[in-house]
Amino acid sequence: MDGGKFLTFALGDEEYGVPVLKVREIIKVMDITHVPQVPDHVLGVINLRGKVIPVIDLRRKFGFGLTEHTTRTCIVVADVDLAATRVMMGIVVDSVSEVLNVGEAEVDATPDFGGRVTTDYVLGLAKVKGTVKILLDLDRVLGSDGQLGPRTA
Amino acid sequence: MTRKAARRATARPEPVTAIVPDELAAFAADPELAAMFIADANDHLGNIEATVLKLEASPADLALVNDVFRPFHTIKGNAGVLGIGSIQEFAHKVETLLDLARSGTHAIGPTEIELILKAVDVLKLAVDQLPARAAGRPVADISTECRTLMERIDAAIAHPSSPPPDPSPPPAASPSEIRDDEPSTVKVQTKKLDDVVDMVGELAIALTILGEDPAIARIADDRVTRRLAHVKRIASDLQRDTMAMRMVPIRQTFQKMARLVRDLSHRFSKPCTLTLAGEDTELDRKVVELMTDPLMHMMRNAVDHGLEPPDERVAVGKSATAELRLTASHRGGCVIVDLADDGRGLDTDRILQTAVARGLVERGVTLTPAEIHELIFHPGFSTADRVTELSGRGVGMDVVRRNVEALRGRIEVQTARGRGTTFSIQLPLTLAIVDGIVLAVGSDRFVIPTFAVRESFRPQPGQLQTLQGRTSLVQVRDQLFPLLRLADVLGVQGARRAIADSTIVICHDNGRSLALAVDELLGKQEVVIKGLGEMFRTVRGIAGGAILGDGRIGLILDTGGLLALVAKAPAHAAA
Repeated sequence: MDGGKFLTFALGDEEYGVPVLKVREIIKVMDITHVPQVPDHVLGVINLRGKVIPVIDLRRKFGFGLTEHTTRTCIVVADVDLAATRVMMGIVVDSVSEVLNVGEAEVDATPDFGGRVTTDYVLGLAKVKGTVKILLDLDRVLGSDGQLGPRTA
Repeated sequence: MTRKAARRATARPEPVTAIVPDELAAFAADPELAAMFIADANDHLGNIEATVLKLEASPADLALVNDVFRPFHTIKGNAGVLGIGSIQEFAHKVETLLDLARSGTHAIGPTEIELILKAVDVLKLAVDQLPARAAGRPVADISTECRTLMERIDAAIAHPSSPPPDPSPPPAASPSEIRDDEPSTVKVQTKKLDDVVDMVGELAIALTILGEDPAIARIADDRVTRRLAHVKRIASDLQRDTMAMRMVPIRQTFQKMARLVRDLSHRFSKPCTLTLAGEDTELDRKVVELMTDPLMHMMRNAVDHGLEPPDERVAVGKSATAELRLTASHRGGCVIVDLADDGRGLDTDRILQTAVARGLVERGVTLTPAEIHELIFHPGFSTADRVTELSGRGVGMDVVRRNVEALRGRIEVQTARGRGTTFSIQLPLTLAIVDGIVLAVGSDRFVIPTFAVRESFRPQPGQLQTLQGRTSLVQVRDQLFPLLRLADVLGVQGARRAIADSTIVICHDNGRSLALAVDELLGKQEVVIKGLGEMFRTVRGIAGGAILGDGRIGLILDTGGLLALVAKAPAHAAA
């Protein structure tokens, strides 16, 4: 894949990156209105200056389990392309790190983990300054949430 | 396209071109102009139709002829600008006839009225086909129809059916000096308007939040308070005016009905007159658009099923000409559209028989007449003896009711045997705002539309009825309502009070009722409805979100969806 600018953030001990062009802004965690009948990782909706946008907890989405929100917890507001439309979504992350220039040479294709790890939504792995950043394809990560079915009882 | 541009365009001579395949090149190249042309043409065709119907009643009124001439002229001009030769040529032909008529040399008779109305139909079709044609999709060929109609117009011009009227008409305006007596208008895309309405809503909310800020409240300064009040007043005026920009009079829809009734009356040989009232009543543009189809359906039903044939009417002592009334009026923050006929009225016995035969109602059940009349809104219900081309296929009133309810409206029917039927449709003024009651459940806030609430109260111990050891019914006067916690219905967690300590809200939808237990009522508020977006499309019982005074989001309840959830949910919900 091509390199480019990525916003990196931490989830647990792992570092992730999303294309910076998808990111609209980074905000502090605010009051989230819970919406019933949706999967656990969909936290609900927030009021972003008069717009109602959904918020996803990436920890829960990736199965990291719950942690208390700290002062470093952020919501990354990004544009996500769902099947037919582009929507704004908020993504709760543990902390935001930096905007990173990733050269094409620094990116490795995602290795095949033989089905034990879902890697559909990984763009590639970037080795920068001795650490590995997992570059995410946001449309794929969140696209599957675009059409949530009601939870079956 | 403005009228001015159209006029300028027609000022230069334009050859009448034959139908060429590439006449839509300009149309396809400029989608914005194309969309404007279509919207404009449809507006004008609607106006023409309404005026022609007036002209039919007073054919000698040359001012009316002129009123028909002008929009045809504009359509021709606009088509010319885009180079759509076929439409230009056709409109030109009609215009020629009208030009002779308004100069008093050709009298308007039934033939001419018929031709003009036919021309409107053909033009409508031609305009509707444009996007498909421009995209290269195949469409029904209407060129023969055009040709025939144009030949008939030529024939009518050559052989006037009636003598020219009194040759002392007021000098008609020539095309170059047409007086534009309408206030000047600008066409704006609905999307842009919606964005403005949204932003103004946000402004109002932001101001409320600012006003409630403790820091502001601590400033005990008259001047600051006064200035803040001033800004708030401007914002509220701004909000009212932007809302008004989305509002359009229901006139256009009513005019369509006038034309429809005229055609139906001929088709079924049932002479009838349609009286319109309150055409200037304004509604949200979207509501008006979405009401057109249901109204057309009801109109067809009224003429086909509601009205008796003339001989039958005379036999029971009614006038042979039936009367239909279509009225719109404001009533308590809503718009009521009434469609009344003086026909035979609903046949209560036959409706019940049919309902039993269809298995909609169990045999032997006693229903009030009102309950029986409600059955006509049931899917698949039709008592028509014969299936006609237009109505009586059994898709009817259920579709109408669904459409009305999708607009958060309500439809009711009142009927008297032998005297007629009145359908009343209650519609919200706008889809953007709803008057709601804010409810608290734990730390969550919900908004229930006021129109869906029958009453609310703190329960007395004697009112609550347990069933299998669980509180599940509440008695209000002599009625029992199923009682559920709102939190259980929606499946939300969090602290909540015991039912005995909560507040009970009786809500209703579509004839069904439900008692909901909530922690407390926080007050009434007008809220701007925000969609939750594609992600939450499948969530039941929630119609959207509203930003409350403190900046938090309250979920707006959809009573119909809640009732459906309850119907599906297992009985253990009210634990």
